[in-house]
This record gives sequence, structure tokens and C-alpha cells, in this order.
Amino acid sequence: MRYETVIGLEVHVELATNSKIFCSCSAHSFGADPNSHVCPACCGMPGMLPVVNKRVVDFGMKAGMMLGCHINRTTTFDKKSYYYPDLPAAYQTTQWFAPVAVNGVVEIETSKGKKSVRIKQIHMEEDAGKLVHDIREDTTHVDFNRTSVPLIEIVSQPDLSSAEEVEAYLERLKTLLRYARVAECEMAHGTMRCDVNLSVRPEGSDKLGVRAEMKNMNSIEAIKRAIEYETARHIDALENGTEVLRQETRRWDDIKGKSYAMRTKETAGDYRYFPDPNVMPVVIDDEWFDSIQRSLPEFPEVKRDRYISEYGLSEYDAEQLTKSIALCDCFEGAFEVCKSAKDAANWMMSEIMSILNARKMTYDMLQINGKSLGELILLVSGGKVGRANAKKILFAMFDDVSIDPAAYAEANGYVMSNDTGKVEAVVKAAIEADPKAVADYKSGKEKALMALFGKCMKELKGNCDPQTLKTILVEMINK
Amino acid sequence: MNAYTVKNTVSSDKVIVADDMLLTKELPTAAGSKMLDGYVSLFEAEALTRATAAGYTLGGKADVGEFSIDLLGETSKNGALIVDGVLKNAAAEIVKSGDAVAALTLDVNGSVRRAAAQNGLVSIKPTYGTVSRFGTIPVVCSGETVSILAKGVDACRDLLDAVAGHDDKDGTSHSDAVCDAMKKDATHAKLRRVAVIASMEKGVDGDVKEKLALATAALKENGAEVVTVDGNTVSLARAAWNVLMCAELCNNVSRYDGVKYGYRAENFSGIDELYTNSRTEAFGDLLKTAILFGSETLSTENYMKVYDKCQRIRRVIAEEFAKLFAEFDAVMMPACSALAYKEEAVSENRHLAFEENFYTAPASITGLPAVVAGGVQLVGKAFSEQTLLDAARILTKEER
Amino acid sequence: MDRETLRRLEMLNQLSLTEAQKDSVIAFFADREKDLEALDAIDTSSTERMVHVMPIMTVVREDKVVQAFSREDLQKGAPETDEGYWCVPKVME
Repeated sequence: MRYETVIGLEVHVELATNSKIFCSCSAHSFGADPNSHVCPACCGMPGMLPVVNKRVVDFGMKAGMMLGCHINRTTTFDKKSYYYPDLPAAYQTTQWFAPVAVNGVVEIETSKGKKSVRIKQIHMEEDAGKLVHDIREDTTHVDFNRTSVPLIEIVSQPDLSSAEEVEAYLERLKTLLRYARVAECEMAHGTMRCDVNLSVRPEGSDKLGVRAEMKNMNSIEAIKRAIEYETARHIDALENGTEVLRQETRRWDDIKGKSYAMRTKETAGDYRYFPDPNVMPVVIDDEWFDSIQRSLPEFPEVKRDRYISEYGLSEYDAEQLTKSIALCDCFEGAFEVCKSAKDAANWMMSEIMSILNARKMTYDMLQINGKSLGELILLVSGGKVGRANAKKILFAMFDDVSIDPAAYAEANGYVMSNDTGKVEAVVKAAIEADPKAVADYKSGKEKALMALFGKCMKELKGNCDPQTLKTILVEMINK
Repeated sequence: MNAYTVKNTVSSDKVIVADDMLLTKELPTAAGSKMLDGYVSLFEAEALTRATAAGYTLGGKADVGEFSIDLLGETSKNGALIVDGVLKNAAAEIVKSGDAVAALTLDVNGSVRRAAAQNGLVSIKPTYGTVSRFGTIPVVCSGETVSILAKGVDACRDLLDAVAGHDDKDGTSHSDAVCDAMKKDATHAKLRRVAVIASMEKGVDGDVKEKLALATAALKENGAEVVTVDGNTVSLARAAWNVLMCAELCNNVSRYDGVKYGYRAENFSGIDELYTNSRTEAFGDLLKTAILFGSETLSTENYMKVYDKCQRIRRVIAEEFAKLFAEFDAVMMPACSALAYKEEAVSENRHLAFEENFYTAPASITGLPAVVAGGVQLVGKAFSEQTLLDAARILTKEER
Repeated sequence: MDRETLRRLEMLNQLSLTEAQKDSVIAFFADREKDLEALDAIDTSSTERMVHVMPIMTVVREDKVVQAFSREDLQKGAPETDEGYWCVPKVME
């Protein structure tokens, strides 16, 4: 019998706000000292009251609009109760009854073609703290820095059917949310986390199989492996009766490449949601709604088409550049300064891409300021810096994004010489030092000229326009 | 039990006392619970900050029953305050003694109003949202209100004036414009028509009946009309309030688990035992009962049937009041069934507070302002504090 | 409310009652259930729930960081800390 996998995702995305959702502590907990970004509220102490961070609602709405959702103009917060050491108040404030956004759709494309994935809802909530298990053997250490950092949870309908589709869906979410600048969505940083709900059924059946919820996948690769493992486990159970499938939560162990049923406590299950009396319903009036709608970015496809029609980019270049907002920002910033879309695109597609590749960086990791790149391009096109030296400057800019290309060229002796006297002196010395090369060239060996050219350019530290050097070289040999 | 948990030596003619539901920075705040024995907050109640800014001095903390859900404070970790076999309320005793001109309290389940009625004091529970709840120990956030207890009307009015106002740190706080409109300089109507709901006088003893009769006479003497009306859904407030109170309480006290601060059991193995032993050892019986009941009302099975139903009943009651206020300026009702609770009353019925709150629940569940004076309670329209306090003056004069 | 349900409720709320307390709690539940019967007579099917008693406008705050409390102060009353962390017995996932 043939089987099909039915997958729905719950994706948690940390919003890129400055402060936490209900208190004013810093929301940037990654890498900070334990419990250095905390206050009585996010440590579960009594007496502070939650006051909603406006930007969280802004970002929640924005995310909803990017994913084609209906925005609930009155959205409310609810309390979810359970005991766990990473939850200091023993309740999480989340959205249960009226989430910020509902009923969206995300278009994905895989080797099998295009597909629409329906979004059930997006709700805003606070993150839990972090537990550290490896400092002492008998103790778990608790860090509340991440407590109350704002999250959105994006809940899809069970519309996905393969690891490839899941990957495409996650990539699409990441692209769109990064375009809207509401989140980093970096699984390695924990700013995007994904729970997978998976079941398997005979192909064509309209009845869903027994569902497993899988947690603890820390990369897209791990998610794909987990989906493949879990699908095989389900099919094996259905086909060979190896085990009785149960609706359960499973933890993925990426090292062992296996999933395990998580310990279910007798008490688990009833979260006793109820509306938080301390948070008034957030009413999104027309002015607020419109201001968010106006702030939405161009969608990647719109941008791509515009790059082709407005900048004359090739379809391929436009497609590549619009894959990440980081590339777009750099390209557009460079164009703004150098005014040549062709130059800017060339630099992006050749130099920038090759450095990203060499450094195994993703497009999203590009941090170079587009304006600086534009200035660098101008230095080259204006004949002030040679292309080889410009690449060296670009390398330096990858390491330190604050570098000003002109000042850096100056400081490192990368500025081209306009002094033909100096060039002639270098050429004269080279000719005199290698009479054999001169003779070879005169007897028709073009290669000999290139050797001389290289020596001169090296002597000049690359700071000479190649055409000028070549002209002077030929002139002086023939003199 | 002592009336004070901590007493400051201060000399000022504007000394106030705060009940132990208001957080203080220098003094510990235990909310009457062994769980928070010795707990010192890193910030103080906004109401106290405002009182201090207005020239009041904190003379100490008055003890409360565990999380202030009981009758008068008898479930405090320090034991009940009993004088001549009668239960007493700590804040009321301090105010009566003259140590403090007024007490700032958190009216969670009506103990302040009962204490005012039984001790011939005046209390004002202002409209929900006019005094910041920032820095109060949260129990029933949807209804509890910082309230004032004093010997006379003026002391109540002055302290209310000092503490009321918008607070950015409380998301349920009214704007300054709204708060100002209920302060003492605000123009306000005279009490002309007072409604009495017959069903709300169920269960009161002869002493309370007498107070109600005296109050009625005093109001009439001052030109007000007192009319007995229907309005029976108001008497449903207790049943619904007990559900809402316990549900919110269950959630709010779940944070006390022996991990971050407060009481931790000595013996445990594993995280669940740490939680369970700490909470079991540190919490009292009444609180445990309320937690368990509250939890059950929120269960998936009961949520719609019980909790949600009570939220709707809350609106039914609010609408009933709104109807009454279309015709009347206030509703008079008792604040308690008797003017004294014998020590045995609580040992015989440990859940008495969940029955006695029959009289205080209507104002608690709706967030409406309520004044207690002359042993009776007047519930008014939102923001009608000044009208209520004027009426309180009539009632207290009659008493003297 | 029976003893078995109560046991589950105790676990859910991290409490452990004595037998005498259980009787008292069960009696409390029975009293409250009786109270609630009176509410059945009121048809609330078209009544909106009232979560907030006052019509207060949404108060939101600007996204500004204020770090007003130190870890040292926050952990002053902690039962157990280590290297800046709060501590609990080992939690198995």
C-alpha cells in the first residue's frame, strides 16, 4: 500500500524588539550573562503588572499581513498554567481566544511545483526561560533572561506532505518575516523553533492517522531527518504492526537519529486557559492598522520583477538577489550611491557571492552596508582603486562593517597613482632589468609582455589603471 | 497575632498603615502567608509611593489573612486576632487605636468592608482602575481594589485624593482625566434616591437590621428617598464571585513554588516534590481549598459551564446595577451578616468567608465603588465616590 | 467531586492534602455547586462574558529597555542559587 504523510507545523519566532513583551527588560538574551536581563516581573515575583509592548503588536500584525492573514482588530491575551522551572510565574501569557492573526496562506515551491499552505493562526506570547543541565550533575540551573521575550507562534494547517515541503515552507516564512524586519528567524540562535505534527495515512484516505508531535529539532536538516524517521516509523507500525501508534509528544535526538516518546506526567494536559484580567483587549484602530499596512515591504516576487524592469537585471540575478533582504539592502544601498545598477549587481553577484560562499555564510548573514559597497564601486569606476585592491578592501569590510572604503584605501596604500612619471620610471627599470623579455616580445611573444606587465603592476602595488600601464609599457619597449 | 506585622517609630500627624497585601521596600510583605515569611520586595506599591509623596508617613504594616481572602484576617500565618472571643481585623484595630489616620488596604474579598462595618469605621473601595494596583500582591486582579479605611469621611477622602490617578505601570488604570473627575474637587451630585434590594438583606442579624434602619432614617431625614426594589440578580454575585476569585487566585498563587524566593520545603526529591512539599507545607487550609476549587472551574470540562458562565453572570449583575442607576444614585446593602464574628463561628464553618462575601461580592464583581459607614454599605455608580462619601457623612453623623 | 478527581487536582496544583482536609475540600465543592445551581436559572446564552469591569482604553508602552534591577538583589531571597542561576533538582526532559 502507498502512504502519505500529513504534516502541520507550529513555528515559534522570536520577535526582534528591544524590550520584552510585558516588562522593560532587554529582549536580547542570546549570549548574555545568566539572569542579567531580568526584573521582578519576569522572575515571577508578585506585584508588577503586564503592560504590552506596542512593537510586539506591530510585529504580530505585520507578520500576519505578510502571511496573508486576517487581522483581528480586537486581540486579547490569556493565561496558560503549568508548573515547570523555566516558567517563573507558573503561567504563560499567550493568546488563546482571539489571536492577532488568523486564516492566512503561504505559497511555497518545491520540485513538485507550487503549493498553498494555509495558516490557521498567529498568536503573540511570551517565551519561557532556559534550563541548563550540565553545570552540576544533580542540579538544573535556571536562567530567566529569555523569559517574556516576545514570540509569535505560527500555526499551519496540516497541508504539508514531505520534508522538502517543510523546508520550503520554513524558508519562505523566514524570507517573508525577514523582509518585514520583524524577526531574525535563525534556528541556530533559537530565534526560530519548530514543532512538527505528523501523521501517516493510506494514500487517498480522508481520515487522519494517529498524530505525533515532535520537538527539539534545532536545524532544518534535523527537521528533515526527523520527518523521514518518523514517517518510516509510522509506516512500519501500520504495515507490520511493529508498535501501536499513540498520540504523543516525541523528542528528536539528532545524534542518535531517533525520536523518543516524552515522559508524560499523570497531571499533564490541562492548561486551564482564561483571559488575563490585567491586560485590556488590544484594539487596533484604523490609524494603527493602516500605518502597519503602509509599512509592509515589497514582496520578494514584486522586488524581483522590479529589479528586472527598473534596473535591467537578468532574471537570474534578480532571482538570486531577492532571495534575502540582506542582499537587497546591500544592492539597493550600493545602487543609491554608485547609480549603476549594472555595477552594483555585478559586485553583488560576483565578489559578494564568492566571499559568502568561501566563508560558508548564508545570504542572510551579509552585513555589509550597501552605501559602503557603493562607495567602493565608485572608487573602482572612478579609477581611484584597482579592482584587485578593491577586493582586498571588500574582504576587510566583511570583517569590519564600519570600514570606510576611501579612508581604508588611503591608509593601506591602495590609491591609484595618476603620476605617469612614476609609472614610466617603474616601466623603465623593468625593461632594463629584463632585456630578454623585451627581445622575446619584439620577436612576437605576447606572453613576455604580460610578464613585464605583471612585474610593473606588482611594483606599483596594483595602484595603476591597467590600460594606462599597458600603453606606457608598449610605447617604451618600442621606443 | 498582633495587629502589626512591623511597626515603625514615626512622629507625624499623617501616619498611615498599609495592610500586608501592599508591597513595601524596607519592610517585609508576607500577605499573611508562611510562603512569603520575610519576603522583601524590590519595589513598593504605587499607592504607597503616592501617599508618601502627599506627605503621609508609613507607620507599619497591618497583618492580613492568607492572601486576604478570609473574613477578617483569621487565616494569617500569625494566627487570628481575637479580643474577648471576637475576631478582629488588624488594620481596623490600628486605625481605631489612633496610631494611624487611615489604612491603605487591598480589598480582595471584602474583609476591609466587613471590618469597617463592625467597628464603626468608614471605608471606601473606589471604582476599579482609579487607584493603581501596581505593587499589590495579586489575587483577584479582575476585581480587587486598593481601598481606604479610616475613622472618618475626611480622612478617607484625603487619602483617596492622594493615591488615585493614572499609572502607566498598571494596564487597567483609568486616564488622569477620568480619575480627576472622581476626586474631591470634582463636582458631584447629591444623593437623592437610594435603592434597597430586599434579597440582599438575607441572613443578617438584628444588629445589622438596626443599622440598616438607622441608615434609612438618616438618609430620609436628609431628603433622600429610600426605595425597596427587585434587582434579584445582584444576590447571585457571591456564587459567581467565588468562582472568579478562586480561578484567578489559583493562577496567581501558582508562582509560589519554592524556587525563586519564599518558603522551600526542607525535604524533597525531584522537582515535583520540591513544588508539592513547599506549597503543601507553606499554604493554609482555606487557601488550598480555594486553589483546588479555582483550578477545577477552569478545567477543560468546566470552563464554559462554570467559569465562562460566571463571567456572563458578572455582566448580568453589572447590567442590573446599570438599570438601577438609571433611577437611583446608590444601592444600600449590608456589608456583613453580623456586627461581630465569634471565635467559634470560624471553627464551626471554616468556609464562612465564602458565604459572608454575599454582601461584598456585588461591588467586587462589578468593580463599582462602595462606601461603608454607619455599619452599612452603599454601592454607587462608577466614579461616584464623592457622592458616596457625602452620604457616608450623613450615616456616620447619625451613628454618633 | 470525588477523592480520585481530587487527587488529580492536587497533583495539578502541586498540593497534597491530608484525609481530613480532603473531606473539608469535598464539602466546599458541594457547597459551591449548590450555589451555582441558582445561576442555571439565568439564561446567559446571549450575554457577552465580562472579563474587564471597566471600559479602559488599551494601554501599550513604547519598546524601550529599562534595566532597573540587579541579579544580586533579585536573588537575595532565593532558596538556592549558583553562578548567577536559580537552582532546582535535576529536571529530566
